[in-house]
Amino acid sequence: MIKVEGLCHSYTNDDHYAVRDVSFEVEKGEIFGFLGPSGAGKSTTQGILTGLLPLQKGHVVVAGYDIRKVDNKRFNKIGVSFEQSNVYSKLTARENLEFYARLFDVETRAPEELLQLVGLSGKENDRAGTFSKGMKHRLTFARSMLNNPELWFLDEPTTGLDPAIAATIKEIIRDQKDKGVTTFLTTHNMYIADELCDRVAFIIDGEIKLIDTPKNLKLQYGKKLVDIEYFKGDKLFKETLKTIDENDLMRLAEITRNYQISTMHTKEATLEEIFIQVTGRGLA
Amino acid sequence: MKLWSSYIKELKIASRGFYFYVELFMAIVLLIILLVFVQENPVSKEKEFIYYNVPELIKQIEMHREITAGRMKLTEPVKLTLKAVKFEITDEKTGEALSFYYDEEKIITVDTAEIINPESGKLEKTLFMMENKEDLMRAALSEKSMGAEIRTDLSGTVYFTYYLQGYETERMVNLLYIISDNSSDRLLQQIEQQNIRTLSDEEILNNRQNLLPLFIVFTGSLMGFFIVMAYIFLDKDEGVIKAYAVTPSSLWTYLLSKIGIIVTTVVISASIITLPVMGLSINYFPFYVFLILTNFTFAALGLLIASFYDSIDKAFGVLYLVMIILMIPVFPYIIPSFDPVILRFFPTYSILNGFRDILLNKDMTYVWIYSLVYLISGFLLLLIAKYRFKKTLTV
Repeated sequence: MIKVEGLCHSYTNDDHYAVRDVSFEVEKGEIFGFLGPSGAGKSTTQGILTGLLPLQKGHVVVAGYDIRKVDNKRFNKIGVSFEQSNVYSKLTARENLEFYARLFDVETRAPEELLQLVGLSGKENDRAGTFSKGMKHRLTFARSMLNNPELWFLDEPTTGLDPAIAATIKEIIRDQKDKGVTTFLTTHNMYIADELCDRVAFIIDGEIKLIDTPKNLKLQYGKKLVDIEYFKGDKLFKETLKTIDENDLMRLAEITRNYQISTMHTKEATLEEIFIQVTGRGLA
Repeated sequence: MKLWSSYIKELKIASRGFYFYVELFMAIVLLIILLVFVQENPVSKEKEFIYYNVPELIKQIEMHREITAGRMKLTEPVKLTLKAVKFEITDEKTGEALSFYYDEEKIITVDTAEIINPESGKLEKTLFMMENKEDLMRAALSEKSMGAEIRTDLSGTVYFTYYLQGYETERMVNLLYIISDNSSDRLLQQIEQQNIRTLSDEEILNNRQNLLPLFIVFTGSLMGFFIVMAYIFLDKDEGVIKAYAVTPSSLWTYLLSKIGIIVTTVVISASIITLPVMGLSINYFPFYVFLILTNFTFAALGLLIASFYDSIDKAFGVLYLVMIILMIPVFPYIIPSFDPVILRFFPTYSILNGFRDILLNKDMTYVWIYSLVYLISGFLLLLIAKYRFKKTLTV
């Protein structure tokens, strides 16, 4: 669905590349996570793929269209949800969706249905300018589904949403995957990537460091850990020990033998911890 | 269909926004100014400075004749302040230049008279009768008005010497020659050289109507130019321009819908001002064609400038500069004697004259030619604006 080869982009038209020699492919029906901290080149890559930024160097095919050949018809197959909500504040929620629906050449979904899906029922006739940040974000998200896209670009789809609404959005993304929609998910939230993505790419300083499934990454880089809290006299102590390390296992046995245990549980390494391990950088 | 949807969307947004009502409010304010504060035939404030360099008896006889004929009325003497000034006067015939320098301010008392139109009884101008040539020159310079010295020779022939500001049109200077030159040979020669316009048959606009083109240009072209930029920056601020860019709709649709809403607003505001003043006395077909095409061009210019900036704050410098440049042709419109050739190349010059021709129900050739010029220029500006917008869309 997406094929990118040797993509480079410079905002200053010189050797200072925001994105450098990026290559990857996204299969049909896949949720592909593009992960990295702010300024890593995620939005630049998505900007080029969606045609908002010109292709300077490299070869990019999106939804079967070579993006060097300008053809707006390709957007009939594509949906884009932006990180920053961008809706007409003076139009109502329904008017926003109705207006954009008329710009497509394909059958579109009913605005009411989409508003209900993202939890904005009853707000159809309210102007978007009166919406909270989260509501505007949901409206932007709903708009990206208007044309039943085959390829869906989502930029930080759960940012600023409360956990219940974020869970609904994640459910919608899973449903779309079940319907065969390909999703290009740009985020710095490793938890959502872990939950949703079939494959993830780690991008930092404009370069892709690795691409793999979350499961493989955990097998390859992850280590099972035990968090243990215990009393030594009146004081409470906490340690994190690796279950695959002999010394740590001996230390664990020593603690359980000699001290009163307060809490103890095992945990898997998170995608974020793996990201830090692979790139040497955090996601903030 | 997409263009229509975009236009309707723009109409909804405009009608719920600030700028749309600013433009309509301005039109209503200007209409009130025209109807309430501008008299159709106002009292003249024109001044003329005259020095009768003739024997007192002749002066008195001449004035008596004018007063008896109802063309002149003596009024109270007034005090005039002649500033310290340095200037140069060039004789147009000989080319000889004389410099004058007055280092002290001088206050003089001057006899005055009102020149009356005997038919209408209305004041045409106020005459200031100066005591000497130097005072005449200084007063004409201070008041930026024309000064005239009248003298006679022994045979009784009257001669005129005019003191002009230097920026008067050639047409006006020639007219003074014709009016004041007693030589029939010279007069015939002048007539042959002049393109005579029959003023008596030509309709003229009253003062209120004469201001209409200025107000139409202000509420139309200039406000349209400003507001289209404001609309673009509002869209950039809300980020909706990016959302539009990822639909199958073209950038043309987006830009044309913006121009559409501006033209709609301008047509409404220009109608608010024009209809109550002109009624049904003019042909509205060329009026609206000219209005739409000139505003199309200015809206396209606004779009082009907006494509270079990402906020209205950053564009303000250029915006003001362009608006000032476009306002300059207002001066030759208000002061016909000030008409430098260079100003004819300013777009607002032709717009003002085009609207005046329409209001005067003149031959429409000028209007149609400039309509075509504005159609082509507007399209070219829009083409460049589209190219710029395509380049400047960023994530």
